[in-house]
Amino acid sequence: MTDPKLEELKQRLAESQDLAKAATLLFWDQRVMMPSGGAEARAEASATVSRLAQERFVADDVGRLLEDLRGLEESSDYDSFEASLIRVTRRDYEKATRVPPELVGEMSRASTLALAAWGPAKAESNFEALRPHLEKNLELRHRYVECFDPPDETYDILLDNFEPNMKTAEVREIFDELKENLVPLIKEIAEAGEVDDSFLHGKFDEDDQRTFSLDVVERFGYAEDEWRLDQTAHPFMCTPGHRDIRLTTNFSPDDLSSLFGTMHEFGHGVYEWGVDESFARTPLHSGVSLGLHESQSRTWENLVGRSRSFWRFFYPRLQETFPAQLGSVDEEAFYRAVNKVQPSLIRIDADEVTYNLHIILRFELEQDLIDGRIAVADLPEAWNTRMHEYLAVEVPDDAHGVLQDMHWAGGGFGYFPTYALGNVISVQIWERAKEDLGDLDERFEQGEFGELRDWLREHLYRLGRKFTPQETIERVTGSPIDAKPYVRYLREKLAPQAV
Amino acid sequence: MTVASESPLLERLKAVLAENADLYHAQQILDWDARVSMPHAGAEARADVASTVTQLAHGRFVSDEVGKLLDDLDAEGHDADSVEGALIRITRREWERAARIPSELAGEMVQVSGVAVAAWDKAKAASNFESFSPHVERQLELKRRYVACFPETEEPYDVLLDEYEEGLTTAQVEKIFGRLKGELVELVDRHRGDSVEEIAGPYPVRRQQEAGRLVLEAFGYDPESWRLDETPHPFAAKPGVGDIRLTTHTNESDLTSLFSTMHEFGHGVYEFDIDPSFARTPLGRGTSSAIHESQSRTWENLVGRSRGFWQWFYPQLQGLLPDALGGVDEGSFVRSVSAVRPGLIRGDADEVTYGLHIILRFELERELLAGTVAVGDLPEVWNARMKESLGVDVPDDARGVLQDTHWAAGLFGYFPTYQLGNVISVQIWDRAREQLGDLEEQFARGEFSPLREWLSEQIYRHGSRYRPQELLRRVTGSDIDPEPYVKYLHAKFA
Repeated sequence: MTDPKLEELKQRLAESQDLAKAATLLFWDQRVMMPSGGAEARAEASATVSRLAQERFVADDVGRLLEDLRGLEESSDYDSFEASLIRVTRRDYEKATRVPPELVGEMSRASTLALAAWGPAKAESNFEALRPHLEKNLELRHRYVECFDPPDETYDILLDNFEPNMKTAEVREIFDELKENLVPLIKEIAEAGEVDDSFLHGKFDEDDQRTFSLDVVERFGYAEDEWRLDQTAHPFMCTPGHRDIRLTTNFSPDDLSSLFGTMHEFGHGVYEWGVDESFARTPLHSGVSLGLHESQSRTWENLVGRSRSFWRFFYPRLQETFPAQLGSVDEEAFYRAVNKVQPSLIRIDADEVTYNLHIILRFELEQDLIDGRIAVADLPEAWNTRMHEYLAVEVPDDAHGVLQDMHWAGGGFGYFPTYALGNVISVQIWERAKEDLGDLDERFEQGEFGELRDWLREHLYRLGRKFTPQETIERVTGSPIDAKPYVRYLREKLAPQAV
Repeated sequence: MTVASESPLLERLKAVLAENADLYHAQQILDWDARVSMPHAGAEARADVASTVTQLAHGRFVSDEVGKLLDDLDAEGHDADSVEGALIRITRREWERAARIPSELAGEMVQVSGVAVAAWDKAKAASNFESFSPHVERQLELKRRYVACFPETEEPYDVLLDEYEEGLTTAQVEKIFGRLKGELVELVDRHRGDSVEEIAGPYPVRRQQEAGRLVLEAFGYDPESWRLDETPHPFAAKPGVGDIRLTTHTNESDLTSLFSTMHEFGHGVYEFDIDPSFARTPLGRGTSSAIHESQSRTWENLVGRSRGFWQWFYPQLQGLLPDALGGVDEGSFVRSVSAVRPGLIRGDADEVTYGLHIILRFELERELLAGTVAVGDLPEVWNARMKESLGVDVPDDARGVLQDTHWAAGLFGYFPTYQLGNVISVQIWDRAREQLGDLEEQFARGEFSPLREWLSEQIYRHGSRYRPQELLRRVTGSDIDPEPYVKYLHAKFA
C-alpha cells in the first residue's frame, strides 16, 4: 500500500508541476507564436502563473508533509522512487522557501519584458535599449542571492540553479584546464592553413532544409505525434507536457547551420522524452542539470552529427537535396568543412574547439557583473576587449557581440558555464557508450541510431532527477567530471595531423 | 476614472481580478495550443494542466476575501452606472455563480473536456460515434451536477444558458425559435427546387489563404497583434490585450474558409477594440455569446455576403483563382455563395438553413439533459430529425452527430446563442445603416472602417460594461426581436 502522506505530497507536486508546464507553454508561445503586440499582457500572465506555481509549492503543508515523510525516506532504499522523490523535493523545497513568491514573480515579469526588448535591441544593434533591463535583472539577482546563506562566492548561488551542487571554483578549475589545452590547439590548427568551407554558404531553400532536418531527427527518434519543430530566432527546446516535446530551430536561407541546431535541440528533447514515464507530474520528471542536458545536445549535434560515419550515410542524401550547391563537393571535403575550426564572433555558430572560449568569456563576465567589478554600461567594451584577447577577433557591432545571446535578458546568469561542462561530460558518457556498444560508426553508416538512443535512455535519460548531477555522472561513467577525455577527443579529431 | 480618489477596496479587488485574468490568459493559451499546435500525444497531460489551472483560478476567485470585498464595496455605494459600478456588479455575478461550484467540479469539467475533445477528434475522423459516446455521457453527468448547484432554477437548461447569455431563459429562446422555425421551413421549401449552379473548384489552399489575408487586412487585421492559423474546427481567442488569434480551416474543394475567416474576424475585432483600460478585469471581454455571435455573423454574412463587398473583392478573388473563377461572372458567384441549399454541416450552412441546424441542437440538448433522449440513440435521432427538418440523409456520423466539437468540450447551452446572434446582428445592422448611409457603396470601394468604427464606438469598446440586453437597448432602442431578421431573410431570399 502506498503511504497516504506520499499520495498527498504527489498530489501537491502534480499541481505545481502542472502550473510549471503552463508557464512553459506561455514561454514557448511567446517565442514561437505570439504576435508582438501581446508582450505586455503575456509578461503579466507569465509572472502570475510562475508566482502561483512557487506559492503553491512553498506552502507550509508541503513542508509538513516532507517532515512527516522523513521516516519513509529513511526506511526506503536510496535508489527507490519514494526515497528519491522525497529527497529531491526536500532539496527543491528548502531552496524555494528561501525566495519570496513576489520576488519570483518580479523576476519572471522583468525577464519577460527584457526578452521582448532584446529582440529589437539585437536587430538594431542598440545595447542602450537593453541596458536598463539588464540592470534590473542584475538587481533582482542580487536580491535573490541575499535570500541564501553567504556562499564562498556569490556566483555559486546562481550556478546552483543550473548545475546543482557545483561550485564556481570547480568550474574555474575545469575551464582553466580547457583554456590551457585549447588555446595552443587553436593556434596549431590556424597554422596548418585554412579549410575551404565556401560551399556551406549559398542559397539553401528553407523548406528543403526542413525536410532534410526532419529526416535526420526522425532517424534519431523524433515522431510526429509527440514532437514539434518550429522556426524561431533563437532556438530552444521545451516540454509543455508529458509526451509533448518541442524543438525550435532557425532556418537560414544562406547556410546549413540550422541542421546542427536541430540535432542539438533534439538531444535536449530526447533526454526529456526518455525520462521514466512513471515520474510524470513529479519534480523527478526532467533532466537533472543543464550540464547533463547539454552533454546530450552536444552528443547528438557533435559526437553524432559531425562524425564521419553520420555523414557517410547522410551526405549522399544532402547532395541529392542540394545538388547545385554540393553536387561537386566530395564527402571528405564536406566533413572537413563542417568540422572547420576558426575563431569567430557568434557562439552558436562556433566550432567544437573555439566554442568553449566563448563560454569561458561569458563565465568570467558574469562573475565580474555580479561582483560589481564591471558595470552593465561597460559590458560592450569589456566584451569586445576579451573577444580580441581570447579569439583575436574584432567585434564590429553589439549585435555580433554582447547582444547575440538572450540569456542575460532572460535572467539566466549562471547558465552559460553549463554549455562547456556539457561538452566535457558528453565525451565521458560517449566513451562509456562505445565500451558497451562496440563500433557505433558501423551503425551510423547504415543510418541506425536506435541502439545509441536506447543505451542513453537506459543509462542516463530514464533516471531523470532521481540522483544529483554528480551521482548521475558517476553512475553513468564510473568517474567524476573530468576534462581529460574531452581534451583528448578534440585533439584526436581536430589537431592538424588528425584531420 | 480618477486614480487619485480610487478606493483601496477597489484596488484590492482589481488585484484579485488581474490575477484571475492572468490565469484565464493561461487557459486560453492552453486551449488554443491544444487545438492549433500541440502534438496529439500531449492531450492527456494537457488536460491535467488545464484542469489544475482552472481549479486554482476558481479556488482563488471564490474565496471569502472576494465575497467580503464585494460586500464592503457595496457599502461604499459606487454609482451603478459608472465603470466601477459595472465592475463590481459583474464581479458579484461571477462570484455568486462560481461560489456555487466546488473547485473540484470546475477542474474536473476542464479535465474531462480536454480528454473528450481529443477523443472526439479521433471519433470524428473514424466516424465512430460509439467510441465517443462515453465522453458525452460523462459530460452530461457533469452538467447535471453543475445544474444541481443552482437548485432554485426551475428549468435546468436555464442554468446552462445563463452561463453564456446573462438573464436569457429557455422560454425566451423557445419563443424566438418558434417564430423563426415556421419562417425558415417555408423559405427552405420555397428554394427546394432551385438550380443555382455550384462552382466547381479546385481552389488551391495557398491562394485561398492569400484571399483571406487580403480581406482581413481591408477589415483591419494587423499582424502586430493578430494571428491566423489553420485548425480543424475554427475559433477565435484573445489570451490578452494585443494578441488576437483567429483560426480557419481551408479545403481545396470549396471556399468556406473565406467565410469562416470573416466570421472569426468578427469575434476578434470585438475583443480587439475593447477599451484597453478594462484589461485584466472581467469588463475586458465581449458581454455575451449572442452579442459576440452577432458580430461574427455581421462580418461573415451582412458584410461578407453582400453585393457591395463582392463588387470590391470579386475581381481580386478571380485574379487569385483564375482556373476556377475566370469564367464565372460576379452575379453568378454572389448567387452561388448566397444560395439556399439544405446540407449536412452547420458550419457550412447558408443563412436560411443555418437556423434549422441550431434549433435541432437546442431541442436535442434539452432532451439529453432531461434524459428523454439516451446518448446511445443520438445518431439515430439526429439523422431522423435532419431528414425531417432539412430533408437530407446523413450518410455517416462524421457528417452528422459528430460534426461539432461543442458537446465534447462541454458547451451545452451554447448553440442557441449562434442563432440569437443572427437575430441580433440584423437589429444592429438596421441601426448602423440608418446612421452611416449606404454601406454597400462603401464596401464596393473596399471601405470598411466607417462600419468598424461605428460598431467599435457603439458596442466593442464597452466590453462587458453593459449587460447584453442593456447594450442591445442602448444601440437599437429595442429588446431582442426576431422581426428585423425575418424581414431581412424575406427581402434577401423570398
